Amino acid sequence: MKYLSICSISFVNLISISFSCFLFSLYFLLNNMVYFIEWEVVSLNSMSIVMTFLFDWMSLLFMSFVLMIASLVIFYSKEYMESDENINRFIMLVLMFVLSMMLLIISPNLISILLGWDGLGLVSYCLVIYFQNIKSYNAGMLTALSNRIGDVALLLAIAWMLNYGSWNYIFYLEVMQNEFEMLLIGSLVMLAAMTKSAQIPFSSWLPAAMAAPTPVSALVHSSTLVTAGVYLLIRFNILLSFSWLGQLLLLLASLTMFMSGLGANFEFDLKKIIALSTLSQLGLMMSILSMGFYKLAMFHLLTHALFKALLFMCAGAIIHNMNNSQDIRLMGGLSIHMPLTSTCFNVSNLALCGMPFLAGFYSKDMILEVVMISNINMFSFFLYFFSTGLTVSYSFRLVYYSMTGDLNCGSLNMLNDESWVMLRGMMGLLIMSIIGGSMLNWLIFPIPYMICLPKLMKFLTLFVCIFGGLFGYLISMTNLYSLNKSLLNYNISVFLGSMWFMPYISTYGMIFYPLNMGQLVVKSFDQGWSEYFGGQHLYQKLVNYSQILFLMHNNSLKIYLMLFVFWILILLNFLLFM
Amino acid sequence: MFNNSSKILFITVMIIGTLITVTSNSWLGAWMGLEINLLSFIPLLSDNNNLTSTESSLKYFLTQALASTVLLFSVILLMLKNNFNNEVNESFTSMMIMSSLLLKSGAAPFHFWFPNMMEGLNWMNSLLLMTWQKIAPLMLISYLNIKELLLISVILSVIVGAIGGLNQTSLRKLMSFSSINHLGWMLSSLMISESIWLVYFLFYSFLSFILTFMFNIFKLFHLNQLFSWFINSKILKFTLFMNFLSLGGLPPFLGFLPKWLVIQQLTSCNQYFLLTAMMMSTLITLFFYLRICYSAFMLNYFENNWMMTLNMNNFNMNLYLILTFFSIFGLILISLFFFML
Repeated sequence: MKYLSICSISFVNLISISFSCFLFSLYFLLNNMVYFIEWEVVSLNSMSIVMTFLFDWMSLLFMSFVLMIASLVIFYSKEYMESDENINRFIMLVLMFVLSMMLLIISPNLISILLGWDGLGLVSYCLVIYFQNIKSYNAGMLTALSNRIGDVALLLAIAWMLNYGSWNYIFYLEVMQNEFEMLLIGSLVMLAAMTKSAQIPFSSWLPAAMAAPTPVSALVHSSTLVTAGVYLLIRFNILLSFSWLGQLLLLLASLTMFMSGLGANFEFDLKKIIALSTLSQLGLMMSILSMGFYKLAMFHLLTHALFKALLFMCAGAIIHNMNNSQDIRLMGGLSIHMPLTSTCFNVSNLALCGMPFLAGFYSKDMILEVVMISNINMFSFFLYFFSTGLTVSYSFRLVYYSMTGDLNCGSLNMLNDESWVMLRGMMGLLIMSIIGGSMLNWLIFPIPYMICLPKLMKFLTLFVCIFGGLFGYLISMTNLYSLNKSLLNYNISVFLGSMWFMPYISTYGMIFYPLNMGQLVVKSFDQGWSEYFGGQHLYQKLVNYSQILFLMHNNSLKIYLMLFVFWILILLNFLLFM
Repeated sequence: MFNNSSKILFITVMIIGTLITVTSNSWLGAWMGLEINLLSFIPLLSDNNNLTSTESSLKYFLTQALASTVLLFSVILLMLKNNFNNEVNESFTSMMIMSSLLLKSGAAPFHFWFPNMMEGLNWMNSLLLMTWQKIAPLMLISYLNIKELLLISVILSVIVGAIGGLNQTSLRKLMSFSSINHLGWMLSSLMISESIWLVYFLFYSFLSFILTFMFNIFKLFHLNQLFSWFINSKILKFTLFMNFLSLGGLPPFLGFLPKWLVIQQLTSCNQYFLLTAMMMSTLITLFFYLRICYSAFMLNYFENNWMMTLNMNNFNMNLYLILTFFSIFGLILISLFFFML
């Protein structure tokens, strides 16, 4: 059983499917082929409900990446969740999660998308509450309910799609793009995608979902759950590019990017920093998508999936060694004690920053340069580049806190770098996050983008990154007598560090008045008047009547017989005198 | 019960008395049957070794004798006025007859003797009192056709039956109030048709037979005995309470069927007010049956150290289980047969 654990079996299966998907995607890409499979489930009043699968290079490539990351994550979980009693349930949940993601990826039909979409929502809830404590429950509920908004939007979109007689949206997007109904569908789908990808009004669930086990975070926040929204909008891209939806999305997504980049600079929780960085990368994908460059979004989605999964896996290994502490202030000097893990951690961090020739560089640099040559206003331009600087800043801050200096954890703590199964899982992704960017670049863009920029603008990205790194290093370098600048501007710091109050707004803000009202109603109706005039009082009355009845039963028999005789006499009286 | 040959005699005579009443074509004959029935039931009730049953038999005798007197008196009055023919068209006279018959059967305004008397009886006599002794007076009531008094009696019966059982811990009183409640339903079914009355009566007898059968075997007289008695056999406890619910008329069980018939008939006769009163009061009875069942099934209970083992022989057990099967699944089976037809 040691060698045939559920992790090993799933790993082998998933990785082989992943390879075959990858090969198929290469074949489809080469021949420019699309396979479309349709199975009619039921036909009703000329409406047919069909299960549809669309296989093109994009879905196949995405599937292969998701499956590869999932297989490595499961392999990694074999050691990470080793002492967990319910590891089988855990792996099955992860597998169901991957299955829902597959369904979502290959569906070009709104109803069959909903299948995968709801599967993702449900299983993500089960995974977030996997560790059973109040914090997890709260995080899970926040996650589930935020995603529920998107589910509702998708259902509404299905209802509106009824107008066109079929839910295979890919046939209608281009033809109907100027119609009001299609715009409505587009806005609903955009709402759904924004909840899944945690864009600005719905951002608060993503850091909260860090309550899930770290392998889940590695899977969920790199390639599956949060990218589902981006992928959906890649499919619906036509609707976004030529309407106000795209402009709105551009604003919200770049604000998300900015907000989470700032927030990550104030955060001390290792996993939350990574979650906020995911959020900022999602903002980047969404914003470039809203400008119409869906291939670039797809590109960044894939490369980001690689290094972000690696980053989370490294974080998991570190958390294991820190006795389950996630506070980066307690870390330090890890590069000496855990060299291999730190290597992976740094490589993925640099890839995230866009270090040349790592995975992130190709996609991020190209996105930023495309932004520069596009028609875009100053505000969005500022957000793009400032956020890029912030990304490097919080990455360097993270590296500074965790990798350099001395270990600040308890003195009886043993660090080791000999968790071989986890390391093996990470190695696979390490290679991918080094070579993934260039490989995808050559695959997806057979003809290179033509980008023509003056020298200053060309170096703007690099400059911003170097400046951001410097800034991140300097703000973290504190000593005993240093002046805490963020404490001077306490209000602003709290605002920026708490994701612009979004967690409070989407939890307390939403529930405060309804909950108070509910308490009032419960106290005054359910447990008050209704109870008084309903069950309890009625019961009390009936018991009283019953007591009165038995009072009457207490008399002797002759009284009853006398009463009967009186009654007969009364009747006789009537009989005789009427 | 049957080890005494005199009891066989009295039971036979009691049955004959009822049959005379039911089959006679004159009021005098009916009265005679009732008297025969009464006089043979009294020796069945009294037990020399038991003070309470003697007292009960005396109470029964006094009450029934008074009722018979009034019945005879009013019958003679009727005959005097109507030249010995049997037609009942004189409302006050027939109201007197009706009153005496209601007293005999123990319906509501004249029910006070019934629970008090039943408290002193053993279970088999209680069963006779609840079922067989009702046949003759109810048949006679069906000959009379005055709605008003009957209506009042029905409503009072169901209400008294419902409210009286609410605070009860004695099983015999509980059963007697349940009997009064069912008597209300039977009287109301009498207003509509005799066949429905017959059906109701048969089902009621069947259900109360199962319960009294068990009570008699295990000598159960109080509710707390029910809770603590059947520790050894959860099945017996469970089925017993299912029978309770069936007697109360909870829908998936057989006891609902006669109620269903009556409800349907009354609805088709537009007797909505009566029906509302009956159903509301039956809800109260169901409430206290359910309350008993809840506390028996769900609350923890005391176990008796001195508890006897089950002293139920195989035949009784089989009989009980077969009857219980019908009581629990009867309604479903009947509905299925109806579908098959």
